[in-house]
Amino acid sequence: MSKEMAKRIHEALLDKRIQAAFQTWEPILKFISQAAREGIDFEASRQKIHDVKEKSISSLPQLIEQFKREAIDAGASIYEAKNGADANKYVLKLAHKQNVKRVVKSSSILAREIGLRKYLEKSGIEVVETDVGDWIIQLADEKPAHMTAPNAHITIEQVTELLSKASGEKLEPEPQALLNATRRTLRQAFLAADMGISGTNIAVAETGTIMILTNEGNGCMTTTLPRIHVALVGIEKLVSTLEDATVILRLLSRSNMGMKMPVYISHITGPSITNAFHDATIAGGQGPTEMHIVLVDNGRNEIRESVEFREALYCIKCGACLNVCPVFRSLGGQTYGYIYQGGIGTILTAFLHGMDKAKDLASLCMGCMACKDVCPADIDIPGMITDLRAKIVGEGGLSWINNLAYRSVLKNPSSLDRSIKIASYLQRPFVDKDSMIRRLPYPLGPLSQTITLPSLPASTLRDRLKGYSEPRSTKQKVAFYAGCVANYFYPELGEEVIDVLRKYDLELYFPPEQACCGAPALYEGVIDTSLSLAKTNIAAIEKTIPDYIVTVCPGCAVMLQKEYPRLLANEPGWKQRADAMACKVRDFSQLILELSPSSGKKAPRSVRVTYHDPCYLRRGMGICQEPRQLLEREGFEVVEMEDSEACCGFGGRTVLEYPELSNSVLQRKLDKIQAAGVDLVVTNCVPCVLQLRGGLDKRKGKTKVMHSAELLATQD
Amino acid sequence: MVIEFTGLVEQLKNEATNAGALVYVASDAEDARNYVLKLAQEHIVKLAVKSDSMLAQEIGLRQHLEKSGIEVKETEIMEWWAQLGNAAYDTLRQHYINADLGISEANIGIAETGTLTIMGNEGNERLAAILPRIHLTLISSENLVPTMEDAVAKLKSISQSVLGRKMPRYVTYITGRNTTGDILGALTARAQGPEEEYIVIINKVTNL
Repeated sequence: MSKEMAKRIHEALLDKRIQAAFQTWEPILKFISQAAREGIDFEASRQKIHDVKEKSISSLPQLIEQFKREAIDAGASIYEAKNGADANKYVLKLAHKQNVKRVVKSSSILAREIGLRKYLEKSGIEVVETDVGDWIIQLADEKPAHMTAPNAHITIEQVTELLSKASGEKLEPEPQALLNATRRTLRQAFLAADMGISGTNIAVAETGTIMILTNEGNGCMTTTLPRIHVALVGIEKLVSTLEDATVILRLLSRSNMGMKMPVYISHITGPSITNAFHDATIAGGQGPTEMHIVLVDNGRNEIRESVEFREALYCIKCGACLNVCPVFRSLGGQTYGYIYQGGIGTILTAFLHGMDKAKDLASLCMGCMACKDVCPADIDIPGMITDLRAKIVGEGGLSWINNLAYRSVLKNPSSLDRSIKIASYLQRPFVDKDSMIRRLPYPLGPLSQTITLPSLPASTLRDRLKGYSEPRSTKQKVAFYAGCVANYFYPELGEEVIDVLRKYDLELYFPPEQACCGAPALYEGVIDTSLSLAKTNIAAIEKTIPDYIVTVCPGCAVMLQKEYPRLLANEPGWKQRADAMACKVRDFSQLILELSPSSGKKAPRSVRVTYHDPCYLRRGMGICQEPRQLLEREGFEVVEMEDSEACCGFGGRTVLEYPELSNSVLQRKLDKIQAAGVDLVVTNCVPCVLQLRGGLDKRKGKTKVMHSAELLATQD
Repeated sequence: MVIEFTGLVEQLKNEATNAGALVYVASDAEDARNYVLKLAQEHIVKLAVKSDSMLAQEIGLRQHLEKSGIEVKETEIMEWWAQLGNAAYDTLRQHYINADLGISEANIGIAETGTLTIMGNEGNERLAAILPRIHLTLISSENLVPTMEDAVAKLKSISQSVLGRKMPRYVTYITGRNTTGDILGALTARAQGPEEEYIVIINKVTNL
């Protein structure tokens, strides 16, 4: 949580341009996400890219040496820049030496990272951006709103005004007219330029080749018309062979623009030459007479050397993650403050611009994992964010209140119980007649404005299930791991789970020593607490040797199933116990279908429902069919809503830390729910229930929200 | 393995058309040069620039266009040097800019994506493809391959056998017609390259 970030969020949400722009771009971004996967085995293709990047980054020093040899052999000059300042100085020195007055530039995120354009401009060199998106940003003197679509926030009216001024023509706000004027004006710049600066999408070591992808054609012109070509290459762009490059090409344009291929791919190996007079080659053909390749480190080797964050170098800069990120969708790219945006941008910013710059950014991620689903290099972005938070806490410590919360209160079931008891007294003045809380005092005011909260009942689920602490059946031992939200806010749901499962001849028991799963601590970066809670819960549950562990909160389930084995990887004894427990974890619907697969379909009911996919169930556990199947088997008609898999906005901490952001995401979800035109939205996640119910109450919406267990318990 | 060239021609045609190109499958040399002349006349082409193309030579393209009053400039620098020396470069550049039509030959066509690859060392072939008002690429149907991976294999083999080195200076992959996603609604609009992208596939293989 950061006051500075809360302020930036507030401003971004009020920025009409950004909000309108992302609203308009939403269907296009959706199209890109769908088109990226069409007609291809996306999973297989991205696994291949992951493998290529893994081996390339692993052998990076050798690839750099090979690339240098080959490129020099082909007539290029190579400069290895330690950092951005080093690279900028080299380019400026070259420009001065070669009497360069005018430069044209094609797209390069690296150039933005090191501030090359402004550096050259400060020295009196004219630099014209030739990618139309970059050019618009240059003319408007604004920061990019998106890494690969930088001018996304600029309206067509503004674009018309900017291009009319730049071209000296009075233009209509019509795409073809604007592009024709762009073509005419930029052509002049191309023809007058002394130097062309390009980025590089992929660099191939075996041949010393750089590859540049564009759709407009400006990449070809930038690298062929001016007499000097400078290619900026981030060292993470290197691969060994043309075959490896092709693996990346399979998904790069798809993920970036939903296109199978970009219009132009330039493979450039050295400067142009003239094949004249039999076999003699003369330097200087009709393209550049000089080619300078600037290999830039600027923190990349440091990323490479870190075990947890090395994968960040696998990023192929397609921007697909931004297109599905609910935080990005709500706030736009400028909120991230620097060049790199979104989850992957947070990691890159930490190393390329400094940890202090990334601290605030790391608090933004809601953990919804939508990015992980679409990344063509199969990078575990959410996992790296968690590791980054741990690193930040490890290096910088916690505030006294967070220290109290995470290291004292949450760590211990009895101290948490006590704190909740105190809260249930303190809440009394704020509880409405219907047992809901709609206003809270400072500092929880914004939270209670975003969602109506359930008041804390007098007894917890743990209290009510005191008589259920031992396994009741020798047939199937099903332990119930309820989690804090069910335990403290919805104990009646816990009782409903027991009732429903009894109908399927399954007797649950509630291991009484179960504690908080540790997710809040993990996602705050307080690893010691999450480790301690992992051990507490493993010990609490394993002693009765359950066959299954049923859950109603996928956030908790993911902890038990995936995070405990990972956290305990370095303690072999504990890891074994964590693995033994992990394979028993089940979602509520998943368990029922697994243990009573042939239960007949019930008669159709008149209730139409829609199903909301919780992030941690669908993407964390890979479960999306079972809850729907169970509802249909029970006779409910399941109507799909648009974006059923979009995050509800609860985000674990987000609703508490940045309620405005949480609310922005929530409102989009509620719009889709209400558009589905059903009486009831069902989901298999208690925090989602809390968030959606709370938001619908604020809207005075009639749609009810239920966990599958509640629906099945109450509708017979 | 017998490669089904007819299938590849159809696939390349479909993919390239989806990406914005206009594709014509010519049955023989006469068909091809008549088609190019017709489209040049429709587009009121006065000046065409041509990069080195054995295929164009084979079908007698230049003479056919010149007979109808269209000026065709070869762009290999060799021809110009003798007369103009260094000024050759500037003169040639002007021709690209003034040209209504640029004619190229692609030595590989990738059927699965509708992509053509143009190779060269001077850079003239890139300028001929990007600067003139209209761009036309000739390709022989026997140079079509099914996939991007096949194209890399063919590229490496051409480089080694024809050029005697690992890579030519320039390999340009072109798929469809230039465009941009940066301006809302512009995906069907032309950006900074030619207004139209034509592909003429000359069918060399009959009934495999």
